[in-house]
Amino acid sequence: MSTLLENAFVVEAVPGDPYHCFRLHTPTIARSIRPGQFVSADLGGLLRTPLLPAAVGEEGLDLLVPPDHPAVALLPGQEVSLLGPLGTPLPHPTPLTRLLLIADLHRLPALLPLAHRAVAAGCSAALALSTPATGALFSFLPPALEVHTLQLHDPSLLEWAGWVVAAADPALYPVLAEEMRAVRMEPATGFAHALLLPPLACGVGACRGCAVATRRGYRLACTGGPFFDLMELEVA
Amino acid sequence: MIELAPRHKIGLSLPNPVMVAAGCWGMGSEYGGLVDVASLGAVVVGPLTATPRRGASPPRLVPVPGGLLLHTGLDNPGLPAAIRRYGRIWARSPVPVLLHLAATTSAEVTAACEQLGGVEGVAGIELGLWDRIGPTEAGAMVAAAVAAASQPLLVRLPLAQAHELAPIVVQAGAVALTVGAPPRGTAFHQGRFVTGRLYGPFVLPLALRALRQVVGLVDVPLIGCGGVYSAADAQAFLRAGATAVQVDAAIWQDPTAPARIGREVG
Repeated sequence: MSTLLENAFVVEAVPGDPYHCFRLHTPTIARSIRPGQFVSADLGGLLRTPLLPAAVGEEGLDLLVPPDHPAVALLPGQEVSLLGPLGTPLPHPTPLTRLLLIADLHRLPALLPLAHRAVAAGCSAALALSTPATGALFSFLPPALEVHTLQLHDPSLLEWAGWVVAAADPALYPVLAEEMRAVRMEPATGFAHALLLPPLACGVGACRGCAVATRRGYRLACTGGPFFDLMELEVA
Repeated sequence: MIELAPRHKIGLSLPNPVMVAAGCWGMGSEYGGLVDVASLGAVVVGPLTATPRRGASPPRLVPVPGGLLLHTGLDNPGLPAAIRRYGRIWARSPVPVLLHLAATTSAEVTAACEQLGGVEGVAGIELGLWDRIGPTEAGAMVAAAVAAASQPLLVRLPLAQAHELAPIVVQAGAVALTVGAPPRGTAFHQGRFVTGRLYGPFVLPLALRALRQVVGLVDVPLIGCGGVYSAADAQAFLRAGATAVQVDAAIWQDPTAPARIGREVG
């Protein structure tokens, strides 16, 4: 389905730690968005703000944002212009087995739809956190998700994983890629994906501003991302 | 109707004076379904060059106070590929499509203009001159393009040189002038300097000043461009002497903005 503009409204806004939770009523976008895709919201600035849903329902999207995110100003009942779905759905291997998620606290919500989906499908799933987390985080995670602290240079999780999806500081990606090469020699295409979302202007590929360097040339995060094959990223 | 090329054999008529600027609309398919194109006066696709350009290395976009800085390095598939991929979309457009050709060399610009002669759906060519181009070179480039082009040839001027170059490029055959290209700036971002074009409401006063300096120097239609976010902004250009207006970065914030401004102004 093509990209569309929809005036969503905020159904629920709950401040919290480590995330503020929002539920947006946006049925048309909710019905067409796929895992890995995102929306951009007009929050009043000169640039729209990209938002990756933490969950997708039939009528809307759930968002989890850290307390310093511009979306925390949203209030229940408020209308907000959304542009989406943007980006390319994240291709996942079938059958899905042994999913390893690597994330920092800030970007983790972007991976939660995958985590819930994997656990619901009976897939073993583990999360390796690259930043410290408080106990409050666990209320947002599926109970069956194993949670670890990311230990670089410990190959056990990478050896175990059948699919890796990372949402972390891009500076971590070259390190991860090197670890994967050490563990698996030449990881297959699609074995690992990484979230990379530079600032966006248009969100639809018109401005060419959100380029990401890959081994196959520059690709736009807004149309070809925001998840890229980790082994193809030039930063990796 | 607005006529941007009254002395040209084909002419260039717009249903209203509000256009979308080059670099903001993409190649023509990106905003499909999001924008009420029929409410616009025209769209400017590109920028394009005769040959493909890989574009600048990231980061290309840096938010700056009050706007953004963008440096794409003319990332584009090249004119022949663009014609193949998007020519049908241009031909189906309900409003005129202008193609923005980035000036490179006279030989390339001449070849590109000749190639566009047979492209249905391209109603006009907007030649973008680079910053700090010399008057002699600008005149020669425009004269070569005019000689090769079948469609009306408009010229987008660098803001800072608009008043200096305007009479020269009109003398060389430009049918209308866009005033002007977004100004350049430099930001320090993630440990490196990034130089690119600046977009945002703060560009409007700069562009308005440049346009007022050009009014009276030439007798061709002028198109105001830079920092238009509302109908009032567009009206300011029109009152200053512009015949038409290009909306640039406002479409990124709100894809409905150009059509809304078009309806309010038109």
